[in-house]
Amino acid sequence: MREQKIALRMVMPYVLIIIAFVVLLLISNIVMSFSTTDGNFTFQNYKAIFTDNVFYKSVFNTCIWVLGSVAGQILLGLAVALLLTQIKRGQVFFRSIILILPWATLDIVAGVMWKWMYNDMYGVLNDILVKIGLAKDYIPWLATPKMAMIAVIVANIWKGFCLSGMFFIAGIQTIPRELYEAAEIDGANAYGRFWNVTIPQLKPVLMTTLMFTIIWTINYFPLIYVMTGGGPNYGTETIVTYIYRLSLRFLEYNKAAALSNILFIIVFTIAYLFTKKMAREVAA
Amino acid sequence: MKKVFLCIVLVSLVLLSFGKTLTIWIGGQVAELDETWNSIIKVFEQKYGIKVEVQLFGFDTYYDKLVTALQAGKGPDLAFADLGGWVPTFAEKGWLEPMEEQIKKWEGTPQIWPNLWPTVTYKGVRYGLPWYTDCRLLLYNKTMFEQAGLDPNNPPKTWDELVAAAQKITDTKNRIYGYGVSGTKTEHTTLGYMMFLYAAGGKLLTDDYSRAAFNTPEGLKALKFYTDLAKRYGVSPNAVQYHEDDYRNMMAQNRVAMSIGGPWSFPLIEAANPNIVGKYSVALHPYDSQPASVLGGWALVIPKTSPNKEDAWKLAEYLTSFDVWMKWVEEKGGPMPTRMDVCTKSKLANDPKWQVIFKTFPYAVARPPIPQYPQISEQIQIMVQKVLLNELTPEEAIKVAAENVNKILGAK
Repeated sequence: MREQKIALRMVMPYVLIIIAFVVLLLISNIVMSFSTTDGNFTFQNYKAIFTDNVFYKSVFNTCIWVLGSVAGQILLGLAVALLLTQIKRGQVFFRSIILILPWATLDIVAGVMWKWMYNDMYGVLNDILVKIGLAKDYIPWLATPKMAMIAVIVANIWKGFCLSGMFFIAGIQTIPRELYEAAEIDGANAYGRFWNVTIPQLKPVLMTTLMFTIIWTINYFPLIYVMTGGGPNYGTETIVTYIYRLSLRFLEYNKAAALSNILFIIVFTIAYLFTKKMAREVAA
Repeated sequence: MKKVFLCIVLVSLVLLSFGKTLTIWIGGQVAELDETWNSIIKVFEQKYGIKVEVQLFGFDTYYDKLVTALQAGKGPDLAFADLGGWVPTFAEKGWLEPMEEQIKKWEGTPQIWPNLWPTVTYKGVRYGLPWYTDCRLLLYNKTMFEQAGLDPNNPPKTWDELVAAAQKITDTKNRIYGYGVSGTKTEHTTLGYMMFLYAAGGKLLTDDYSRAAFNTPEGLKALKFYTDLAKRYGVSPNAVQYHEDDYRNMMAQNRVAMSIGGPWSFPLIEAANPNIVGKYSVALHPYDSQPASVLGGWALVIPKTSPNKEDAWKLAEYLTSFDVWMKWVEEKGGPMPTRMDVCTKSKLANDPKWQVIFKTFPYAVARPPIPQYPQISEQIQIMVQKVLLNELTPEEAIKVAAENVNKILGAK
């Protein structure tokens, strides 16, 4: 009981800051989303969002962007984590090269770098493909909506797999060796050990990582902004790039506030479902 | 009691010294010339006894920074605003102080190029003082003209000549192209289309800015020709990905021979490749039925929240005075002054490149100075991109764009 009190007191300052900086701003955002430019109450901003074709396009794009990026980041992160835990010599070296480097690269720098790699006049990617004979001519990677979406997802996987990789490494290291030994005695091969020991043991970490990457990817802005600016056409316009353009390009702050709230509800629901499920599993 | 008194004195001193400091925000290409700003501002400080703090911003960040500050009511005392629709947009939001009275009285007013005033006017009231300007021209690489057997002193004048010259230069195998078509989802694409639209005898909006006016045979002809340069004639790098700034850099590397450029391009292309000095030039952009150009530039505006509006106007007036501009042009050789007397009396009048600019400028039109302009511009960008990506035919795309523009303008 006493410990709980101490813990509560120690958490309090942080809670107050969160209330000040998040809840208050959220409330002002909600107020804004229900106001006209003159300050009167209106539903017009939400109505404008739901009758806007670009909104549906951006929701669809966000789904593709999240699905592709998260699947890629989790799978690549898991594969890299499994490999890296096998390496016993030079652990620090390999982990920092593979996991820290992409993650520590600034978002804008990563965006500009990928944009130049994809370039169809000077790009290194095209140069390599042509030299090894995989492509006949330079491919304009960012020039069509579908290709551009794939290109930004690939860049995002590179940028984000490290974080899930690090989570997985930490998770794998907590799995007791005895479980593997027992499985080996029972005659399980490497594949069986992975499916029957590693994955179930890693499940809590997997769920947390999944939640984090989904939310981060939904809200991730700089890479798309730098590489394609939401184009070509509306090919890579996600909800966040659309919010940015609504507020800072068109100065429609109230409509942008309405869309931000919609996004907030989506993100909040995802986080709520995940944490509820995780809490239930821990209790069980 | 003494302590309280001391505190009050100190606080009021601080407030006073703050009150006497004038803040000016400078954005755009001229923001890179900071030592010139310092020397010009120093003279002002000595003359009027007002302290000025100069803050410079790069072009990419300036708009977001300024809009955020104005929205929060925390702007500077004097700020640069792009002539591409910023001034009326900000004025509609109530962020700017009208300058009509001062401009009417100021002796420099008759010297300002008259086609600049609409860009700073909102509902008949002027909210800004145009400071420097430019107009869009054909920027071309003389070396590449020579290599293709073309006369470098006789650039194309009509659309047909443009296609012929560009096709002669283009060598897709080695990724060398004749003309760069801007097709990105940025302002450059709207500007590019406007150059061709007005050259075909069309216009973007009706004269009262109440509805779209580009859905005409002229507008369609311009859209077809503009996109055909990339699609049918194949004389441009992949247009959806690049705009005129990229093409200028490619031109510095002898990869693209022609694109839209202007006075601001000179220092930038020379920075990209110092060896290109003397091997590039500008000309009136090729046209179909009439010469055309789009003007741009920057104006000085006073935010409504500034506590030093009178001093801010003094600074605006000083910066736009004949003497300051003459000094600026003698030292920097550009950009183009908004004052006609400086254009004719300074050394610029003897430079052949600048003569082209001064000759073209009276043809130059402004982008519609209305708050809805950014959204209209986006519709034009989408229209061009949809045609370039083969998602719509030019006829369909122009119809959709005109409908959307009319909806944005609230026209039936």
